[in-house]
This record gives sequence, structure tokens and C-alpha cells, in this order.
Amino acid sequence: MITRNDIEKSNFKNVWVIAEVDRGIIQPVTLELLGSARTLANKRNCEVWVILLGHSIQHPELYAYGADVCVVIDDIRLNHFIDELEANVLTRLIKKYQPEIILCGATSRGRALIPRVAVLTYCGLTADCTQLDIDPDNGDLLQTRPAFGGNILATIRSSDHRPQIASVRPRVMKAMTLNPDRDGILIMESIDPRDEINNKKVVEVFHDTQSAINLADAEIIIAGGRGAHGKAGFELLRQLAQKVGGAVGASRAAVDSGWIPYTHQVGQTGQTVQTKIYIACGISGQIQHLVGMQSCDLIIAIDKNPDTPMMQMADIAITGDMFEILPELINEINQR
Amino acid sequence: MVKHDPHYYVKNKRYHVEVLPPKQDTAKLLADLDLFKEKYLRVIQSGYCVCITDNAMGLMAFQGHEIIEELNLPVHRDQVMIHLNTFHTKCDLDNILTSCKNLGIESLLIITGDGSDRLPKLQPSDIGEPDLESVTSVELLRYIGRNYPDTFVLGVAFNPYEPVEHEFAKMKRKIEAGASFVVTQPIIERNVQVDRLLSEHPSIPVTVEAWMSKKLSLLSEAIGYEIPQDVEYDPMATLSMLHQIYPQCGVYLSLVGFKTQFDLVKDVWI
Amino acid sequence: MKIVVCIKQVPASNDAKIDPQTKRIIRDAVKSILNPFDNYALEEGVRLKEKFGGEVIALTMGPLSAEAILREAIALGVDSGILLSDRTFGGSDTWATSYVLSKAIEKIGNVDLVICGKQAVDGDTAQVGPGIAAHLNWQQATYLMEIRRTDERKILTKRLHENGYDLCEVTLPAVVTVVKGINTPRVPTLKGRLASLKSDIPIWTPVDIDANIVQLGLNGSPTRVVKTEPPAPRSSATVKIKGSPEHCAQELIHQLRLRSIL
Repeated sequence: MITRNDIEKSNFKNVWVIAEVDRGIIQPVTLELLGSARTLANKRNCEVWVILLGHSIQHPELYAYGADVCVVIDDIRLNHFIDELEANVLTRLIKKYQPEIILCGATSRGRALIPRVAVLTYCGLTADCTQLDIDPDNGDLLQTRPAFGGNILATIRSSDHRPQIASVRPRVMKAMTLNPDRDGILIMESIDPRDEINNKKVVEVFHDTQSAINLADAEIIIAGGRGAHGKAGFELLRQLAQKVGGAVGASRAAVDSGWIPYTHQVGQTGQTVQTKIYIACGISGQIQHLVGMQSCDLIIAIDKNPDTPMMQMADIAITGDMFEILPELINEINQR
Repeated sequence: MVKHDPHYYVKNKRYHVEVLPPKQDTAKLLADLDLFKEKYLRVIQSGYCVCITDNAMGLMAFQGHEIIEELNLPVHRDQVMIHLNTFHTKCDLDNILTSCKNLGIESLLIITGDGSDRLPKLQPSDIGEPDLESVTSVELLRYIGRNYPDTFVLGVAFNPYEPVEHEFAKMKRKIEAGASFVVTQPIIERNVQVDRLLSEHPSIPVTVEAWMSKKLSLLSEAIGYEIPQDVEYDPMATLSMLHQIYPQCGVYLSLVGFKTQFDLVKDVWI
Repeated sequence: MKIVVCIKQVPASNDAKIDPQTKRIIRDAVKSILNPFDNYALEEGVRLKEKFGGEVIALTMGPLSAEAILREAIALGVDSGILLSDRTFGGSDTWATSYVLSKAIEKIGNVDLVICGKQAVDGDTAQVGPGIAAHLNWQQATYLMEIRRTDERKILTKRLHENGYDLCEVTLPAVVTVVKGINTPRVPTLKGRLASLKSDIPIWTPVDIDANIVQLGLNGSPTRVVKTEPPAPRSSATVKIKGSPEHCAQELIHQLRLRSIL
């Protein structure tokens, strides 16, 4: 365990990215983190390392996306996510190579894995950062994150501990422009017997591409609430979503009414989203919903009642019946 | 057993008086229960009907039946009405209905109600109507009628502030589903939708709700529509006016002041 | 089964009011409530106990007023509550919080399963559950939609992830976090609530849990909040569109064009 007494800050170098690998495929959040890591590393004049844990990892050499060093453990035991195994592996690699900064995706896997690593290494961890910067004087990572449902932006430092760990949600950072000329070093590592954990296993995996719409990955969300009146209303939202390549979201009231599964719920007890466009149809805007979507870039609301909190928050507020307006909108889009 | 007749209240000039049960998040539950008991007994002693809300506006509160059981409050057949909405698990719903039956509470006001993160919505499959999209007061009425035949007198709400045709179509379905009396949302003057309700359903007793708080802004919030409030609102004067406009209707008092108003209302309905 | 459910008191406000200038929510967090996700954790703990027997204990760290959520937990069917409250706990980040909770769990002793809500709605970090597991060196499973006990020392968990879910077998003792949808939490009854008022709730301090004082509170926390500020205002102007459906649709498209979105 690295305690504040034994750290010699200058021993810790480089910015690491923990790659998100799903069934051998590197997920887009990895490239976004690399973009952010590259900016930080340039300021700090150090290297970007990407750590890839998985099985049959395809195209692990991510130099073109900003990595200088790719550390790969490709092992069947890493095919499914075993929190303890990956945390043990990472903790060992951290002790071996001593990075100054670690970035990890705030995905279901990242959010399970990286707090475990932070505790094992006695490091500071800041979740869901929306901005990252470096204090040039001391190498402190300035981590900005929303709290209280986005109502406060807090800047956090972890001055006495190294490495400094931050998680970032998908689609928050930007991948750098692909540079095929960049080259780097590949380091192959392996699982140490001491990392292993024998009495835990993934028995079965269900990939549910139909219903498990990944709201965090969408650019546009078309969301419905009580005013969608039922499954027919959501069918209309789905048509529009298909037209514009968006995902369908929902308020708690709509989910509770059984019109759409819980995985679509936006808000405090659902998902927090930060899309380019959020179209709220028949959602009055209870505070629990608003905190889940208030950070979207452009909010469009359609409601019969012009005075709801959602209509007040919206950048574009359309007073009217979604059942009349959405078909017209789909029509307009078809004609273009 | 012959059930009581909703017309009783008009004939005998008996008010319905709403009493709010203690909230779940209260820091002074025992004191709140004492206060509830005091109000409940005063309503009963006055010969009126005490009406207990069900998690009104989605705010969690204790249930009427459990308070009556816990505090051993008297139940007279014409003097207790329980609100019941669609935000309960099937199991809780049946517990409430069974308790009411055992306590001798006949009068239930069936409403769709407001949810919250914490209140479970009754699902269509729970009440044997899996093809429905969601459970409203209509389905709840049907469920109670089917599963508790000849046990309760079921009433429904009428909202004159909702889109009119929609509301009247819904009223028709509510009556077909077994509603035998109607309580309106609060009105503060003659209301054309209430007039229409009375003429379209002459055989259904209608109770109009009188808003007894001076704060009209609360009413706007409760019903979700703006109510003009440039003049000072006089609840007692409004109450007396409602009696004159709607002599054929019962009156439901919401937010009545027990210190200031309660003893005065008996002289208004004459 | 001996189960500990870790819960948190969080600020809440009921009505959404929007600042017309900044388009941000005006927060008047005057009330404190049980973290909404913890309802599911408590319900799951109580259900497991009802099914397999044993004991459920609710545990929280916070100010003395956090006793209220422990009583709420007892009203929901938890057997007892423990409040971790001391000046030295103040300012704890997720590292120090999970350290204190893990020490309390060790102190309780013979715990088979720790259940947490997915995350707290004030901090939104989802770090404390895995943090407790790491401090205890126990197994963990997060974002659970289902917990099935398969034998004396094993549970089968249904873990939700972005592209579906998996079934993961976990050996006890373990720490799990649960999502909304794992169950339908019961609503406290008046009887339960009245009984909860009579419960004794012990208050534990660092001495009671043999905590290392240098790992507590602000001093033990690797992270420091150095600045807080309101988020940048959303644009204050709302473009209001009304009229015929055709007009609304056309005007919306026009507005999107103006913003170079179409």
C-alpha cells in the first residue's frame, strides 16, 4: 500500500488510461480517454500508457490515438469481468510502473473496478470528471466534477497521494484526430498467480442489444413522460429516434406505468445523461428527472402545458400535442 | 348488509371533512397522531364524514385504516371515507381493502393518484388485466367490484380543470366501472363543467369540494392549473356561495381550519 | 445469514424551480431523506432475511441527525441500526468513508453479506461499495438486478451492464450494490414506525471500531475539494414555439438549422 509517507512524488510518471474492452473489442470511451490523456501528458511532458486487459483483444496498439506505450494482458481469464482479478492485476502494475495519473471510463465495469484499485493503493479517486487539467507547479491533477445532480461543480485535488485517479463518463472527452504516423512500444504482461481469484466466476453473459439501449452512448435522446399516455406514445418516440439515430429515454412516471423498461429511465434513480440534444415529450420535469438531464447541450421540450419546469428549462419550448407535432416532425425530416 | 346511501349527506346536511394523515417523514409522529385523533373525533362528533387521503400529491403518509386500527378510533358507517389510489402493491392494496372491510369502512374514493420514487405503481397484471397499458381509477374500481362484491360504496373524482371531453369520457367509464358518487376538485365559483356533470349524470350524487385555505396558490399547485388570485379569497363566503349555487350537492371541505373555521361551518349549511 | 445494509442520509428537495436567468435548478434542500437507492438495498436485505433467516443491520456514517434514516430502516424490517458519528469522521471522502464502514463491519463480526445502494444521489460516485469490499478484501458484485442464494457460502448475482447483464457467482462474505428494479421496496407501516421509535441506536466512534485515526476524516482522505462553483448557466433565452403542428415542426427544424445542427 502506498501511503503518503512513503511517496516520493517524483518517482511517479506518465498518464495511464485503463482501456474498456468488451469481448475483445476496444470501446470508444478508451479513445476518448486517450485524447484527454494526450493533452495532459503534453502539458506534463510525459508519456501516455494504455493498459488493456482482456481476451483476444483486437487491434490493441493504440498509438494512432495518442498512446506511447501499450501494456497488454491478453488472457482467457480476463474474458469476463472479475473485479478482484482485474483490480489485483492493476494494483501490481501500478506498483511496478508508478504512473502519476490514471484515467478510467466511468462505465459499469470501470465504476466497479477503479474504486477497488484506489483503496488498494491508498489513492484519491474522483468519479465522473468533466474537466481535467494539470497544475504545472506540482503535477496535481485538477479534477472537476458535478455533484448534487449537476448543481455544483467541484474541483478536486489529491496532492499527497500518487497516482491520482479519475474516472470519466463516455462521450465527455474527445478522442484526438487519428494520427497513423504515431508509433510506440508494446509491453506484454501476464497474470501473476497471486492476482488470481478462484472462487468467483461469470456463469453466463446476456447481450441484450434490443432493450438495453445505452443512453450514455447516444447523441440524441427522445424522452417521454406521463404525457406520452402509453405504449403508443413511446412507439412514436421510437420512430423519431430511429429517424435521427437517437435513443429513447423516459421519466420515472412512464417507467412505473410499464410503458417502457427501466433501462430507459433518465433521472435520479435512472441514468444521468449528457447528450447533444434532449427532446422531452410530455415530461413536466420533476426535480428528480431534471438532475438527470440538465447537462445536455440542447434541451427541446414539447408539452401541452407551457408552464412546466421542463418547458422553463428548455432552450426550445414547443407548446402543443406531441401526438400531432412528432408525426409532422418525422414528415419534415423525411422530406429532407 | 344494506350499504349506506351517498345521498344521505345532502339530505342530512353532513359535510365531508378532509383530514390529512401524518406524513411518513414526520419528526414528531406521536404528536401528529394525537392531532389526527383530535380532528378525527371532532368530525365524527359533529356528525360529519371524515375523509382520509392516500399519499396525497405523491407525498408518503400513513394509511387511514392503520391509524384507525392503531388508535382504536370509532368507525360509523356513514362517517368515514378512505381515499385509495393506484400507487400500491397488490399485496398492500388487498391489505387496505380487507382492513377497511373489517373495520366497517364502506365509503372509498377511488383515484388514480400521484406517484413518486418511493410509491409502487399497481401493475395491470396484478389485477388480472394484463392487456392494459396502465392501471387508472377505472381499473381499480373494476378490481374492487369484482373481488369485494357488495362491500364498498365507491366514489370517484371529477376534475373540471382537465380537457373537458376527455374528462367526461373518463367519467362515463368510471360510472360503468362501478362508481356511485362523485367528488369534484375544489371549485371557488359556479363551474360550467360541474353544471354539465350534474345534468349529464342526474342520478349520481355529486359532492363539490370547497377550498377552505386562504392560500389559493396551494390550490393552483394541487390541481396543476393557474387560478386567478388577484382578489383576497374568503373561504367561508365561498362555502356559503357554493351551497346556494349547488343546493343539490354535498360539500367536501379541504384544508379546513380546526381552530378557526370548524365550529363555524355548521351554521353555513342551513 | 448476517447482513449489513449501508445507507446514507442525503439532502432532498421536492419542487423543481428553475432560475429564469441561468436555467438551472434552484435547490432548496431543506429536507434530509434516505438515499433513494438505499431503499432497494434495505428491501433486499430484509427479503433475504425473511427467506433464509438471520439478522439485518443498517449502518450509516453521518451526523447525529442521521439516526432518522436508521429508524426508517428499522420500520422497514431491519433488526437494528448503528450510527457512526464523530467529529473525526467529518470531511471523509469515499476512501475514508469506506474505511470507517469496513471497520464497523469487522466490529459487528461474522457478517456474510453487505448490501449498498448503487450510489448516493448527492455525491453520485458509486465508490463506497467497492471501497468497502477492497478494505475488507472481500469479493464484490455491483449493479445487481437479482441476488439468488445458491448454497451456504455462495450467491448468484445478475449484474447489469451497458450491453445487457451477466450471471456471476460470488463467494461469501461479499459486498454487493443493487439497482432500482431488483425489488419493489415496501412502504413502512405505522406499526413498524412506532416500533422503530423504541429502538436503541448505538453511536459508534473511532475507538469502538478500532480505527486508525490517521485514516479518518479530512486527514485520512486522499482527495480534497479545493473549489466549488455553480455550473455555467444554460442560455437564458427560451425559444418559444406554438401554433399548428406543421408550423411547430418547421420552426423547430429552422431553429436546429440556426444552431448548425441539421
